[in-house]
Amino acid sequence: MTSHTEAIDARDIANLDQLRDLFAHADPVPSDLAERMKFAITVHALHAEVAELMDSALLTTRGADAKVEPTPTDSVTFTAASVSLMVSASPSEQADTDVRVRIDGWVTSPGARVEAMTVEGSVSEISDANGRFVMDDLPHGPVHFVITDPDNDDVRPVITPTIQI
Amino acid sequence: MTPTPTAPDGLGTRAGKAFAAYITGERERLSELVDLVTPVLWNAARSQGAPAPMCEDAIQTAFLQLVDRAESIKEPAAVLGWLVVVVKREVWRLSRGSRREIGVDEVPEAPTQQLDPESHSILSERQRVLWQHISTLTPRCQELLRVIAFADRPDYAAIAESLGMPVGSIGPTRGRCLQKLRTTLGSDPGWAV
Repeated sequence: MTSHTEAIDARDIANLDQLRDLFAHADPVPSDLAERMKFAITVHALHAEVAELMDSALLTTRGADAKVEPTPTDSVTFTAASVSLMVSASPSEQADTDVRVRIDGWVTSPGARVEAMTVEGSVSEISDANGRFVMDDLPHGPVHFVITDPDNDDVRPVITPTIQI
Repeated sequence: MTPTPTAPDGLGTRAGKAFAAYITGERERLSELVDLVTPVLWNAARSQGAPAPMCEDAIQTAFLQLVDRAESIKEPAAVLGWLVVVVKREVWRLSRGSRREIGVDEVPEAPTQQLDPESHSILSERQRVLWQHISTLTPRCQELLRVIAFADRPDYAAIAESLGMPVGSIGPTRGRCLQKLRTTLGSDPGWAV
């Protein structure tokens, strides 16, 4: 006989493992839930304005009802009240394989800081006098952009929805 | 004191460390916290019997409250339990609408765990047997076991407490719910491997 006052043993752990498998199978955590939570936290913490995706024919965002992984995109435009951002993705020139991505971007504000948040962390660039910037060597996968004014902290940051590159 | 073997940190401890680092300025560590605790929070929310979109809203609210109140949370190490409490309360608040505020000390009891027929149909034979046994336990045990199954052994006591189970009933020992599961499975000749 065993008792509830005994220590948890390997059999209890095995029972819990099977229980976890059961619920993970029958009622799985939505695959993009954690990413959507991170996005909501970022928007909230930055008091950011969320940019709208303009040309949705070119790609799929990770929406709440997305059941499948979005297809990769080539070029996309985001628009907010204060700024627009266009990004194009292509294979990185630094690597001889297509495991890395290069982003060519154009933002309507010269001298804006554009930060790309990827699974590896963040990369930021300042747009040039024409609003252009380049980010080479990004990983494939989900990315969203945060646009801020490095000279003025009072301007609300703009954050884009997450896209796949 | 007898030396205890070095165990790997439980999920709650790792979450606590990530949160403590976030508070001291390592902003990117919050992402790690979200990845670690989301499965536990999903199961804590879903075990209340609420629809999926409501559970997602409750989890989001809990994370936003955590960020807003990060500085005032006295025990960063207890962040997992804190989140479980907020998620559970938020699911109940949402599912009751704004009709009634839930008292601070009131911990509503979870309903009997349900699977929709579609989910039930995709279970393996062994999972169906396990499900039958789970269904014989009290709703509180079903809820507790479901949530701790997604955490690690060192976290069980904190999770039990945040779900409103008496602390003394679990802790380092097996506890009544795990014992009941063990007994009912042990009595089933079809379950033994």
